[in-house]
Amino acid sequence: MPGQKLSTALGLAPELRVFERDPAREAAALTALACAAGRFTPSVSLAPPDGLLLEIGGCLRLFGGVEAIVDAVRTACGEQGWSTDWAVAPTPLAARWLARAGAARIVMAADELPGALASLSCAAPGWSAEVVARLESFGLRRLGDLAALPTAGLRQRLGNGPVDDLLRARGDVPDPQRCFVFPERFATALELPSRVEHAEGLAFAGQRLFAALAGWLHSRQALVRVCTLELRHDDGSSSALPLRLGEPSADEARLLRLLREHLGRLTLQAPVEALRLEADEVIARPGDSGRLFAEAVAGEGAAACLERLRARLGEAAVQVLGLRADYRPECTTVTADPLAAVASRPAASGQAAQMPPVTRPLWLLPVPQPLAEEADGPHWHGPLHLLTRAERLESGWWDGGEEGTAGDVRRDYFVARNRQGQWAWIFRDGQGWFLHGLFA
Amino acid sequence: MNAVPSPALAEVLARGDIWRGDALAERPAATIPSGHAELDAELPGGGWPQGTLTELLAARDGIGEMSLLLPALARLSGEGGWLALVAPPWLPYGPACAAAGLHPERLVVIRTARQIAWCCEQLIASGGFAGVLGWPERDIDARTLRRLQVAAEGRPVFAVLWRSVAVASTPSPAPLRIALETAADGLSLRILKRRGRPASRPLTLAVPRPGRNSRVVAGPLFSAVRAGSPAAAAVA
Repeated sequence: MPGQKLSTALGLAPELRVFERDPAREAAALTALACAAGRFTPSVSLAPPDGLLLEIGGCLRLFGGVEAIVDAVRTACGEQGWSTDWAVAPTPLAARWLARAGAARIVMAADELPGALASLSCAAPGWSAEVVARLESFGLRRLGDLAALPTAGLRQRLGNGPVDDLLRARGDVPDPQRCFVFPERFATALELPSRVEHAEGLAFAGQRLFAALAGWLHSRQALVRVCTLELRHDDGSSSALPLRLGEPSADEARLLRLLREHLGRLTLQAPVEALRLEADEVIARPGDSGRLFAEAVAGEGAAACLERLRARLGEAAVQVLGLRADYRPECTTVTADPLAAVASRPAASGQAAQMPPVTRPLWLLPVPQPLAEEADGPHWHGPLHLLTRAERLESGWWDGGEEGTAGDVRRDYFVARNRQGQWAWIFRDGQGWFLHGLFA
Repeated sequence: MNAVPSPALAEVLARGDIWRGDALAERPAATIPSGHAELDAELPGGGWPQGTLTELLAARDGIGEMSLLLPALARLSGEGGWLALVAPPWLPYGPACAAAGLHPERLVVIRTARQIAWCCEQLIASGGFAGVLGWPERDIDARTLRRLQVAAEGRPVFAVLWRSVAVASTPSPAPLRIALETAADGLSLRILKRRGRPASRPLTLAVPRPGRNSRVVAGPLFSAVRAGSPAAAAVA
C-alpha cells in the first residue's frame, strides 16, 4: 500500500523483505532495457523513472501486425524477468497513461482515443498531489469529466501543465519525444539479486545482458565478434570469460547457446555477485540482399556448430587439417583453426599438387607401433607380406634429440598386407619393425 | 460368377497401383554417386543417400573401407562442402587426403573420447556439413541412433556411422546398413538393410589399393636382420 508506514507493513506481513530503492540502478536497468528494445524499433525513448516508449508505427509490417509486435516485446521483457504494464496508443502520453493505469489495450485509431482516456482516473497522469486534490474537490474523478469542461476555465484553476498534458495526450498538440541514443560502445553491468555459486546459474542473468547486446547491435547495424563477460566475485576479485564467435553475429539465441557451453565448463572460484558484459570487437553489418528463391537449409551452419563444439570440447579437439612440406610422415599433417578457414575461405589448396605422387596411407598412427618380428618377417595380425620396394625416408637432422619433435628419422617404408586383407604401411629402422599407417 | 474373365497377369502388373516387390523404393531424397557403378545399381536412388543415416560395419581396419567412400567424399569436398570426422580411430594423413581430392582446410577432425554421438548430432543438424563420418562408442544405443537419424532427415548431409560387424544382427534405425569384408580381389559388401527389396548376394568391388599388387618384391632377407645387428645398422 503506498503511504503505509514500514512498521505497519511489517506488522501486517512479518515475512516482508524490504529493499532500498536505488535510482541509479533503476536508471541503468532502464537503459539496458532500452538497448534491448532496439531489436523492435529504432526510435526508443526513455520515460524515466519506469517507462519506455517504443515508436512501433513504422515496424508493423515487419512484425506482421500490432498484436505480434506487442507479443514479441512482452515475451522479450518476460524472458528478462520484467513484468510489464503496457498499452498502445496513437500519442506517447496517452500510451503512458493507459499503461500506468494497467489498461493493457491497443488503441489504434485517433478517434477511439478520447473514449479510451475518458475512463482513466485523474490520478493516472501522475500530476502533482495538489492538482489531484483540487480535481477531487471539484468532483472530477475521471479524465472524461475534465474533457467535458471548458479549457480556459481549467487553465485558470489548475495551471497550464495538466491542460497541456491533456491536449498532448489527445493528439491536439504535437508531443515530440527525445530519442534514446544507443551508446557508442556497449558495456553494461548487472548486479545479481543473490549470490550465484554455480556457473549454470549465471545463464539466466546473462540473458538480460545478451538481450541488451542484441538490441544494441541491431539498432547500430553491427555484429559482434568478441565480447567479454566479466564476473565480479563477492571477495572483490573478478574474472573474465571471453566469448569468441566463429563468425560475427547479432543473434541473441546464438550468443546464449555459446554462453551456456562456456558456463557448462566453468568452475567458479568464488560466488558471483555481479556481471558485466562488454562488446570488444564490433564490426559493421555487411549489407546483403536476400535471394528471391531462397534455398535455405534448416540449421545453424558450419561455423556456428564448430564454435559450439569448440566451446564444449576445447579448441584443441576441433581442428581442420593443414599440410606442411616435410618428408617425415608425422610432420606433414598439421592442425589448424577451423574458424580461420571459415573466415578466409581459401581457394583449392595448391599444396597437394606440390607433394610428390607417392603411396601414402589415409590413416596414420600418432605414434608408430612396434611390430613383432618372426622368422618370416614382421607380424601384425599374422605375417605381413611386403608388396613394394623400400622407400627410404631420411630427414629431420635439425631437430634430432629434441623433446616433442619427430627427431632425426632414417626409415625404410613398405606397403604390406596380412592374410586378413589388411593393408598397412610399415617401416624398419634401427629399432626394428613398426606399423605407421593403414590403407583404409 | 465365372463369367468375368480373370485379367491376364501382365495386365494386372501394368496397373499403376500395383507395387512390385522387385522394384526398389523410389527415393525422392538426393543421393550422391558412390563412384562404383555396381554399388550404385544396388543402392536405392543410385548412390549414397543424403539425409539419412548410413551404417557401415567393417570387419577390420585397413581393408579399404575408407577408399570405398573417397569418390563420394571427394565430390562433396570438391563442391565446397565441409566434411567432419568425429573421433576417428587414427589421425587422417593430410597429403593422402589431399591426393584423394579432399580439401584439408574443410576437413574437420574432432578428437574426443566422450559425447561422440552428441557431436555427430550437432554436426548433422547444423546443416552446414556435407559429410559427417562418426566412429561412435561401442555401446551406442538405439535411442541415440534414432536421434541421429532424425537429425539427418531432410538435410543434404551424407551421414555415416562406422560400427563393428558384431552389431550386424542388432536392429538399427539406419535405413542403409552395409557390412564390409575383405575379399580376394577387393572389398566385399553385404547390404544388410536398404529401402526396398533386400539384397540377395554380396557385392565385390575393386577399391584402389596401394603398391604393386601382383608381385612380391624381393627385398633383403628380413629374418636374418635383427635389430642391433651390424646389418640392421647398415640398413638404418
